[in-house]
Amino acid sequence: MNEEGWPGSHTEGDMIIDIIISSLINGSVYAILAIGFSLIFGVARIVNIAHTAFYMLASYWIYFGTQTLGINPILCMLVAIILVTLIGLISYKLFIDPIREHEGAVLIGTIALAMVFQEIMLISFGGDFLGVPSLVEGYMKIFGVKVAYQQLLTFGVVLLVLAAVWALLLKTRLGLAIRSTANDREVANLMGMNESRVALITMGISVGLAAFSGAVIVPLKIVNPFMWMGPLIMMMAVVVLGGLGSIKGSFVGAYILGFAESLVVFLIPMGAYLKGSVALSIMILVLLIRPEGLFGVAFEEER
Amino acid sequence: MLLDVLNLTVCYDKAMLINDLSMGVDTGELVSLIGPNGAGKSTLLRAITGLVAWEKEITRRSAGRNVTLDGSITFAGERIDRIPAHEIVKRGLIHCPERRRPFREMTVLDNLHAGAYLLKEKAEMEENLDKVYQLFQPLKARSRQISGTLSGGEQQMLAIGRALMSRPKLLCIDEPSTGLAPIMRAEVFEKIGEIRGLGITVLLVEQEVSAVFKMASRNYVLSSGKIIAEGPGDRLLEDEVLRKTYLGL
Repeated sequence: MNEEGWPGSHTEGDMIIDIIISSLINGSVYAILAIGFSLIFGVARIVNIAHTAFYMLASYWIYFGTQTLGINPILCMLVAIILVTLIGLISYKLFIDPIREHEGAVLIGTIALAMVFQEIMLISFGGDFLGVPSLVEGYMKIFGVKVAYQQLLTFGVVLLVLAAVWALLLKTRLGLAIRSTANDREVANLMGMNESRVALITMGISVGLAAFSGAVIVPLKIVNPFMWMGPLIMMMAVVVLGGLGSIKGSFVGAYILGFAESLVVFLIPMGAYLKGSVALSIMILVLLIRPEGLFGVAFEEER
Repeated sequence: MLLDVLNLTVCYDKAMLINDLSMGVDTGELVSLIGPNGAGKSTLLRAITGLVAWEKEITRRSAGRNVTLDGSITFAGERIDRIPAHEIVKRGLIHCPERRRPFREMTVLDNLHAGAYLLKEKAEMEENLDKVYQLFQPLKARSRQISGTLSGGEQQMLAIGRALMSRPKLLCIDEPSTGLAPIMRAEVFEKIGEIRGLGITVLLVEQEVSAVFKMASRNYVLSSGKIIAEGPGDRLLEDEVLRKTYLGL
């Protein structure tokens, strides 16, 4: 399905600008999704397939909050992040934490969780494609190409959050505990870091980031019960490309894939249908040529 | 006794790694644990610092191995065998693990900060950092370097330095000299001597028997999870059978 809100340019120059803008926005959203996914994988070795389902939940909440309840969009976004993070923490405590040491079970459990969210949305809202209007109307011209304020706003906010995550990880005591636990959770334990609490907090941050990206991108996307699958594949490809567990890798990989996606969507007729295959092809190539990804470290036996 | 281990038994599934073992460390001592591979030296340290109990908890959840731990471990008058690993360091007992295990993707300075994770006062942390840098000067010049790129000897210094950042009363070090060049081994032993000079009690697991006997106040010889001999180095060397069979001298 075509989720791109802004095709419609005609000259080649316009198209290049369009490609750059849409790849920056999509790349940033993938970066936030992939960083959240990497964080909880790194700290607790949880492969959270339901990660983008939380992104979907936030999008639905924005739709429900702004369209049905008529809440102020900004307030609605904040509520989305808090609400979805809470849902994430509850599902972590109930479904993931008890089986956390069992990696296969976690994988299956999180797939089930994502399906449950999908079905709940399908029952509550139906399978229709829903839309949320832009937060800000209007556009400006960059090199003569119309760029909607909504796109710029999304991009700006996403960059701010990426910077905040970076500061959290590198400049705070919590960040130190998260990085240490991701490096070697047994030794982190020895240093006095409560490994299971760090995992819980990281889960909160991870789901919070997914909720944020879902809430902030929703005016540019189409809300439907299957909207978590496309970003999931993209996010997985980003993580594989960048190196599993590497935050820097997720960041760089996200923009590379965001760009590849936009190129395909804009340059190839019916390219939007090929997004998934591009992501999967990149994933297979990386796994064949350089399994540890761009910035990944080869995993050692012990952690 | 600062550390008192009484009738400790540790089993992983059906394998009994520690078998009804009792030992102790007094304040100010440097006590060594020696013995062949698989004697249970590392398991004993892991039991003392709570890692066996932690493993017991996580394997119980994963329905993997069945770990059991019986007996009592007392540190500074308090039972610690029921306390989670991450709370033990607060009480002044720290474990510098086998194979050094620095946080490989983090800088030297971040590793040291992680060691001081529980210290509330920033000034206290800076003071500890100065002390560690004084003891291990090469670390200071490399404070911004990613620790995974350090040499083996430097990684060992970092691991010990990281352990010292928590201001321990008792420092447990597991095989610090393994895998190092002879000159680095000598330096590591020298540093351990200096650490003891700072008033820190040391419990040392080592393979390098001759070096250990020169510095340790007492030694425990372990075999198959049991202590088969105990005493100062020169007295252990008098026993012909022990010397040939267990110490390889």
